[in-house]
Amino acid sequence: MRDPQTAPPRLHMVFAGLGLGFLAIFSWVFLREQGAEWRSLQARFRGVQTTVKNPHQLAEAAGAQGLRQVWLADLGRVDRCATCHLGIDDPAFASASAPFRTHPGTWLATHPVERFGCTACHDGQGEATDYEHAAHQPIPHVERAMRPLETIEANCGSCHRSLDPPDAPRLAAGRRLIVESGCVSCHDIPGFERMRFRGPALDSLGYKVRAEWVQAWLKDPKAYLPSSRMGNFRLSQAEITALQALLLSQKAQAPLDAAVDWKKADTVAGRALFGELRCVSCHAVGGRGGTMGPELTRIGDKVRREWLFSFLKDPHREQPDTAMLQYRLKDEEVRDLTAFLLDEYKTGGAEAETVLASYQDPRAVQDGQTVFVRHGCYGCHRLAGLSETGKIGPSLAGVADRDPDQLPYGRNVVRRTTDNYIFLKLLLPDALGTPSLMPTLGFTPVQAATITVALAGLRKADLPASRVVKVTPPDPYRPQGRFGEIATRYRCLSCHRIGGTGGDLSTVPLDRIGSQLQSDYLVRYLLNPGAVRVSVEARMPVFHMPPEEARTIADYAAATFLDDDLDRYDARFTPAEARRGEQLYRQLGCVGCHQMDMQGGYVGPDLSNTGTRLRPGWTAAWLTAPERYKPGTLQPDYGLTAADARALTAYLTTLGAHGAAPPAGGPAGGQ
Amino acid sequence: MTEKGEPGGPSRREFFLAGCAAVGAATAGFGVSTLRYLVPTVLYEPPARFTVGAPGDFPPGSVTFLEDRRLFVFNGADGFFAISSICTHLGCNVKRGGAGFECPCHGSRFDENGRVVHGPAPAALAWYALSLSPRGEVIVDLDRRVGPDFRLKA
Amino acid sequence: MGETAKDRAGRWLAAAGRSLWRIGWPRTDKDRAAVMISSLFLHLHPARVSRHSLRASYTLGLGLVSLILFGVLTVTGLALMLYYFPYPAEAYRSMKDLQFVVTFGVVLRNMHRWSAHAMVFVVFLHMCRVFWTGSYKPPREFNWVVGVGLLLVTLALSFTGYLLPWDQLAFWAITVGTNIAAYAPLVGDRLKFLLLAGHVIGPMTLLRFYVLHCVFLPLAAALLVSFHVWRVRKDGLSGAPEVPSVVEETAGTFPASSKTYGLMALTRRPSASVEARDPRDEVFAWPHLLYVEVLVFLGVVILLHVASLLFMAPLEEMADPTRTPNPAKAPWYFLGLQELVHYSAFVGGVLVPTLVVVALVALPYVDRRPHGVGRWFAPERRLANTVFTVLVVVATLLTIVGTFFRGPNWAWTWPW
Repeated sequence: MRDPQTAPPRLHMVFAGLGLGFLAIFSWVFLREQGAEWRSLQARFRGVQTTVKNPHQLAEAAGAQGLRQVWLADLGRVDRCATCHLGIDDPAFASASAPFRTHPGTWLATHPVERFGCTACHDGQGEATDYEHAAHQPIPHVERAMRPLETIEANCGSCHRSLDPPDAPRLAAGRRLIVESGCVSCHDIPGFERMRFRGPALDSLGYKVRAEWVQAWLKDPKAYLPSSRMGNFRLSQAEITALQALLLSQKAQAPLDAAVDWKKADTVAGRALFGELRCVSCHAVGGRGGTMGPELTRIGDKVRREWLFSFLKDPHREQPDTAMLQYRLKDEEVRDLTAFLLDEYKTGGAEAETVLASYQDPRAVQDGQTVFVRHGCYGCHRLAGLSETGKIGPSLAGVADRDPDQLPYGRNVVRRTTDNYIFLKLLLPDALGTPSLMPTLGFTPVQAATITVALAGLRKADLPASRVVKVTPPDPYRPQGRFGEIATRYRCLSCHRIGGTGGDLSTVPLDRIGSQLQSDYLVRYLLNPGAVRVSVEARMPVFHMPPEEARTIADYAAATFLDDDLDRYDARFTPAEARRGEQLYRQLGCVGCHQMDMQGGYVGPDLSNTGTRLRPGWTAAWLTAPERYKPGTLQPDYGLTAADARALTAYLTTLGAHGAAPPAGGPAGGQ
Repeated sequence: MTEKGEPGGPSRREFFLAGCAAVGAATAGFGVSTLRYLVPTVLYEPPARFTVGAPGDFPPGSVTFLEDRRLFVFNGADGFFAISSICTHLGCNVKRGGAGFECPCHGSRFDENGRVVHGPAPAALAWYALSLSPRGEVIVDLDRRVGPDFRLKA
Repeated sequence: MGETAKDRAGRWLAAAGRSLWRIGWPRTDKDRAAVMISSLFLHLHPARVSRHSLRASYTLGLGLVSLILFGVLTVTGLALMLYYFPYPAEAYRSMKDLQFVVTFGVVLRNMHRWSAHAMVFVVFLHMCRVFWTGSYKPPREFNWVVGVGLLLVTLALSFTGYLLPWDQLAFWAITVGTNIAAYAPLVGDRLKFLLLAGHVIGPMTLLRFYVLHCVFLPLAAALLVSFHVWRVRKDGLSGAPEVPSVVEETAGTFPASSKTYGLMALTRRPSASVEARDPRDEVFAWPHLLYVEVLVFLGVVILLHVASLLFMAPLEEMADPTRTPNPAKAPWYFLGLQELVHYSAFVGGVLVPTLVVVALVALPYVDRRPHGVGRWFAPERRLANTVFTVLVVVATLLTIVGTFFRGPNWAWTWPW
């Protein structure tokens, strides 16, 4: 029998087993640490490196062992991506395989890794040191997996706050769409604080439109007019009726009480005027024309005759914010134009109008006001008595950081990400499970995705000021004095830019126009603008401007809109220079694009009267470096020497100097 | 620990010894692991290699003191060089003074090249290698010490 | 000459060895007893233990496992402190660093986490075992009370540690947990304010929980554990049956020891279990008990390693007070309470926990009949065991329901 005071043999076996088990499990721990993914990748890299690198660089790169991290203390960020992406900032690895390849493009030159890390642009989990946890693909409990390239520009937007960020076309397009779609009317959006979006004022709508139009329009503006910028508010019939009562009761300013004999209206003269005034530069009819003003295709179904007459005579009286210029037209001309528009652009022939009794019903009007306020109509439209009461939609500050799991997605089966939510909300505001006042704006999926990119960079956390790239736009240019009155009347800035302010319908900014054009020519042109380039549809309208106003503009331009570099040019040419210039003109094949004496191409402007049109300093400067003055111009840069450019200028200056050709040129150096 | 002299078959004893050996090995491994655990693998420090700006940011003949990096950057007649402001005695910040540098803590003095002139400091101030980045900016590499004949032409 | 040098070296070594280990390899019963008594660490053990209490099927080793877990938690916790910053965003980043860059950091953190959960669970089981074997009966009444204190300290340690990773799980579990505490009458709100060092969880809360978790609670636990073990040592290893299993009806044969120990001094009081000793029923702690302890230790450590390698300690997004997960759940051991709070805030938050603690503390003083000690589910204690078992089952069910069957808005969901 065994000694009762020694351990039973079974225990020794258990001990040996457990001891070995302990050793085994500990070895497992040890080997797992030793076999970390990044270690084997670094071993692989050292193999790749010898084939890629110059031997003398090897010594330096061999030090690249162990974990590498970029610590951005100001952002509270640690990125360890370079632990595996070892060749990322080394051009020698441009053709290496996946984790070691050099970063494409010049992005690391503008955003050096040591200052920006990786996740500031790419997202993902920078702290991680293995492929899976770095969130190259979405993983649970990591809020931001790496962004695919399609939406990566959203992160550009976190730092780059200007409206037109560089090298981020999607972001820029998205931001433009936000401005154009009037998002800022209902939402506060960081970076868009100074943007305003204005629909027409409604306080005289009772005189303006027909009852049927209100009805049809409110039901679905885009169904009525596909080019409408107003969204579908999904109003009930009761709401439409109430709004109709409210809107038709708005009679703040009666139409101008002009004694018009409508029987004498001449639609043929009106049609001619329609062309002469270049209405289609801004207004589309039948799907063709500009987009600055509303489409006129169904204007006959919409507005009342007296109102249209009144508006065309003085658009600024009722709509001070309109981009529409005020022509100098006689009453008969306005009458003819009105008659033409109403007769030409309508679908039904009915002149009679259904008069609803509810217009006069104060209760219905009251209801209409309630609806007007509930749907935030005041965000875009002015209405007497209903002042703005703040934006109706939620602020979009930090929208990218909303909890994706708490957002409604409706029945749409999507991956629950904030991006997807924003995208769906833009596309289907009413199909996300919760009732929404947001109108259906009819975005295409591409547009919605583009706007999503612009919104998905709006983070909650405020970046340190040193990280924000903000281009504060200069204060908008306001023309002053007598010139200011004229420029406002003709709305020069609706199409032209001065000092960065203004529209982009015209390709000609006016900042140096006084150094480009001869004053007399400018006067002639303003009085009777013609086609500069036949192939371009948008043209300057005939303003019916009094000569005195044209002279004021020209004088102001000659005194203010100058470029000293152009004015300093020595314009005393010798005949020899002119002769050599004529030769050059032929050698360079200018005639391929430019008309001269009824010969040549149609792409560029007619040069027949350059001598009376352009100032030589401008001509020479333009010929030397066209891209400098107009990026993207069709005018080729021949790399002319100063002497060649001078010779060409000398030759062109002789053209039209005899006064033979009538003024028919464009305002500037062509395209 | 052994079981010398205890009665019992060899298998019993071997099991016990095997168990002891395994536990001993694991414990040794545990010790090594503990040491490795204590060694930090990443540092929350500014990187040893960093850019200090374009050569044009340093006027000719100027001395720029980078406070947060404890470094003097010289743009001398024959090129750029960088001298540490860390006194080799006990690590105080030296100041420019006299012809060279002075340490306010214990009175060490260095000449304009950082060599010890006087005082308790046992060695000259450190010189660090400079280089130009592909974009033409000056890079300091605190991991590479150089001699006082070093100059970076930029 | 070489002989002498070797001898001298041997003598020197032997002397050095004796200074550490006074008794050589114990070969006699006297040495076996002395080895236990003369060592600071080993003298926590009695020299001899009853065979009965060594049987694994009797104690299940739960007390020992709890103690081992406490040791593992102390060691891993101290190591983790080297990489931990008790400040919100930094705390979270420490977790990421442990997971991704600190050598062995992830195993260490996992082990600390799983040990903590295991300790709560094992301590609870230990309490159940003590109840079901009637081991809280005199003279062990007070040690039972200390045990209840240890259960509470264990829960507090686990709860304070829960916040430290500063992720969503931590933040909202502590939010829910402290709000349960706020239901206490009169002092509830002030208690919560004191716990959080503010009205909401913030940096001060984190610091407070950190200090509690790393200093005060471990100190309290260490003190209580020492006392608990000391009492075990004095009262005999686990409640022995009042009737020895080998020799029947021999209680009167041996002179009864009249010595027993209260908290502060020796007390005179008869003690059923200590008296009922039979030398034939005992073995020396060396090697029997010690060897078993080493084996259990190895087993526990191996299991912890396996768990730490196979299962990652959870770490969600960084704490965000503006994003409440739905449902927000307390740590699992409080989910029974949260389930009760769901029915009635007062009942779940105040009444039940208070009653449970009071009942547990009062138990050994109420149930003083010296019957059914040292046996599982002794028929003499049918009533007590039944009541207790029902309570345990209810608590377990509530916890299971709260953990697995409650979804968003605390609505019933099926976990599959």
